[in-house]
Amino acid sequence: MDKALEHSFVELLEKHQNIVHKVCRLYTNNQDAHNDLFQEITIQLWKAYPKFRGDAKFSTWMYRVGLNTAITLYRKSKRSIKTQEFETVQFKIKSEPYDDTEEQQLKLLYKAVHQLNDIEKALVFLYLEDKNYNEISETLGISEVNARVKMNRVKKKLRTILNP
Amino acid sequence: MDELELLKKDWKREDKVYPKLSYNEIYNMILRKSSSIVKWIFIISILEFVFWLFISFGLKASGFNLELEEMESNVGFIVISIFSYAVLAYFFYRFYINYKTINTTDNAKVLMENILKTRRTVKQYVFFNLLVLIIGVTYMMPYAIQSDEDSRVLLEAAQANGEMFKYYAGIAIVTLIGLVVAISVLLLFYWLIYGILLKRLNRNYFELKKLEV
Repeated sequence: MDKALEHSFVELLEKHQNIVHKVCRLYTNNQDAHNDLFQEITIQLWKAYPKFRGDAKFSTWMYRVGLNTAITLYRKSKRSIKTQEFETVQFKIKSEPYDDTEEQQLKLLYKAVHQLNDIEKALVFLYLEDKNYNEISETLGISEVNARVKMNRVKKKLRTILNP
Repeated sequence: MDELELLKKDWKREDKVYPKLSYNEIYNMILRKSSSIVKWIFIISILEFVFWLFISFGLKASGFNLELEEMESNVGFIVISIFSYAVLAYFFYRFYINYKTINTTDNAKVLMENILKTRRTVKQYVFFNLLVLIIGVTYMMPYAIQSDEDSRVLLEAAQANGEMFKYYAGIAIVTLIGLVVAISVLLLFYWLIYGILLKRLNRNYFELKKLEV
């Protein structure tokens, strides 16, 4: 494979790797699974890269391939069996001075998000990434109206999980 | 505050807490092999094509067939052979085209549909083969009975005892049981492999479809 192509790809991915980490964060429960999914998304991105024309932003293109890998192509490996609670171990919320109640609430929120199904997680992910409904609908292949309806249902579902 | 807004605030704040992979670490990742379901579907599908090709050759080269040279010139048999190879070529072509259309940059629903379409083509091919197997066995059975020495002896004994019905009923039942067992094992095998492989995809596809109703 073309060395220059490899170089440009790795450089771009190194720069935008947080997008992949974020997808992994929502779809996995522990570090092993996180690494496993990161690896698979990287391979899928690399395989699709020769067709990447640069008419879309690299990051936008990454959202699509990343989510597609997470909800469609990825086979959970044996290693991804739940071993530890993700939130408390891997990505400790940055030690900025925010109050305990908010931190507690955030922990519960992340836990609640992990209880959503794959499609609901995709909606939450795109929402958190500030994607508009048009982009959400195009990424998932559903209509904009349905994306809105579903997003409202996800919000309600989260509320129910948080306040049973 | 809306729960998701709170989450969003935090989501953006955390930009620096993810592990930072180096250039070399990422480079090593692109050299590794994918373990995606598409790859597995591709491998299993190829094995299925090979398996049925092998069965088809196996049947042709099997003992009772070789004893029957006239079988080779039997018009019906030749037609079935040519037809089954043409069908194999057709299915393989369609499988290849479907496989080529799988594109991770499509939207999630289209991607899922394309994967399922690839899978469906192979499924159709398998059902076609099961049908050919059933027809083939039924069609060849009378020739096999006539050509096989032991069968002929048994047939003559049955004729002498006036037990023709029993004789044919016995053959029919044994053949039927053989086919049912073979087909059940194959279907169970498929159900297990694809059940495991496509569970997640099917669930998510169903979830997306549900949104459209």
